[in-house]
Amino acid sequence: MSIIEVKNLTRRFGALTAVDDLSFSVGQGDIVGFLGPNGAGKSTTMRMLTGSLGATSGSVTIAGYDIGSDARAVQRIVGYLPETPPLYTDMTVRSYLRFCAKIKKAKSPNQAADHVIDRVDLGLVAGRLIGNLSKGFRQRVGVAQALVHEPRLLILDEPTSGLDPNQRVEIRALIGELAKGDVTVVLSTHILPEVEAVCGRVIILHRGKIVAQDTLAGLSGAGQAVRVVVARPSDAVGSALLALPGALQVKVLEDGAYRVQANDDIREAVAACAVNFGLLELGRDQAGLEDVFLKLTRSEGGI
Amino acid sequence: MAVLTIAAREFRAIFNTTIGWLVLAAFLLLNGVFFLLWLDYFARASAEFSGGAYGDVQLFLSEQFFAPFYGNVATILLLVCPAVSMRMFAEERSKKTLELLLTSPVSTAEIVLGKFLGAMGFITVLLLGLSYAPILLWFWSTPDLGSLLSAHLALFLVAGSAIAIGALFSSLTDNQITALVLTVSVGLALYVIGSAGTPDSFAGQISILNHIDDLLLGGIRLSDLAYFVGLIGVFLFATHQKVESFRWS
Repeated sequence: MSIIEVKNLTRRFGALTAVDDLSFSVGQGDIVGFLGPNGAGKSTTMRMLTGSLGATSGSVTIAGYDIGSDARAVQRIVGYLPETPPLYTDMTVRSYLRFCAKIKKAKSPNQAADHVIDRVDLGLVAGRLIGNLSKGFRQRVGVAQALVHEPRLLILDEPTSGLDPNQRVEIRALIGELAKGDVTVVLSTHILPEVEAVCGRVIILHRGKIVAQDTLAGLSGAGQAVRVVVARPSDAVGSALLALPGALQVKVLEDGAYRVQANDDIREAVAACAVNFGLLELGRDQAGLEDVFLKLTRSEGGI
Repeated sequence: MAVLTIAAREFRAIFNTTIGWLVLAAFLLLNGVFFLLWLDYFARASAEFSGGAYGDVQLFLSEQFFAPFYGNVATILLLVCPAVSMRMFAEERSKKTLELLLTSPVSTAEIVLGKFLGAMGFITVLLLGLSYAPILLWFWSTPDLGSLLSAHLALFLVAGSAIAIGALFSSLTDNQITALVLTVSVGLALYVIGSAGTPDSFAGQISILNHIDDLLLGGIRLSDLAYFVGLIGVFLFATHQKVESFRWS
């Protein structure tokens, strides 16, 4: 059952078409990543999913409610972190989250605020003014604000921007944990490893249009890729790798590195074969999604 | 409930700004000076009129002291309310916090009304700060309670009008100073326009001044109430429409 149904969604700002005829659906419990260069329409789409921006045409249905006619009902079950976290800098973290819990109609607002403070690990700064917090903490308060009323659908616009690598890992872990509890997460990012770490499905936007939407495996070129580096590269390496059962394609990269495309995980076979040529490194190829992304979004005469 | 939540936040936010405290200080200081000036005037006038050439003429506290004093307070309110209302929406827009309200399950009407009531709560604090005036005079005299209440009604209505006008200008710009200047201008224009014609002329009818004269003396007329309710209603409705439009732009 899908929680988000988007049909022919279009948004124009004057002559600019920011979002152009989008249609997609997201199932309950999915984690979907919006990918795209700056200005691709990610934020505009997310704002239209939350009712903070109206559509020029098309429809958004969330959990059966139409966002145009039932925005309040939708907003009860949606948690939203905008690009700039909407923080009242003159409030303390705790009083801010209590305020959010109340206007988002959480069942027992004060407990909900205390609960989310624990969950996002804000206990140390709960009594401090938001204006005095570091960027990382502010971002986390923004995430807490989106979570405080226990929404079924979370829409996070660049949730890890401005965070250090440790904090990124924490937020990703939190997102993964939420998804286990059947919360649907839609997030946007331009950090590709992040998508690979958390998202089950990716929607790539470019100039307001969907240029690809698929599972990660599907996108990074039917199946999986293994990157292997050997000490003695030669033509024989390439043909030996291609001869492996399941290998579809072998691409020669720089400095003795090869990329083996396959339908399933053939790392074991690749390792056994590469040992003969002096195996130095072996792993899943992270470049797969990046290649796809660059190919799809490199615009002719772009900005 | 959401209205009260938003009102309470707005009320506290005003006290978290320097402007809030400056407004409170300036309001109390200015009115303190006027209180002494009008009291002095009343004392001299009483002394002059009693046992003089005209015999014993009784001066009424409500007419000769409270009405002109609270008339002054109303003028000062028109000047200070815009400093309270200017941040209402302009600050939320410049700090991008309006999106929190717009994506929460609350209606635009609840947002506008909540913010309006929060600002009016601050006005209540200002007016409570002036409560020494009737209390002090109670030691020497018995002020007319009815006209005191009606004068305070006038003050709340004037402040409500200024805040409603300020709410609209604050929603039209994300620059607080622009909102302040426009609100003061419109408020003062509505105040002085009465002198451009007789009270029955159009200019006289839309003037705030002509609609508080009777209230300050204790006369509550439906037409005056209708004027203020209409003024506040029109500006809050326009603010509502503007804030609603943020969902579409």
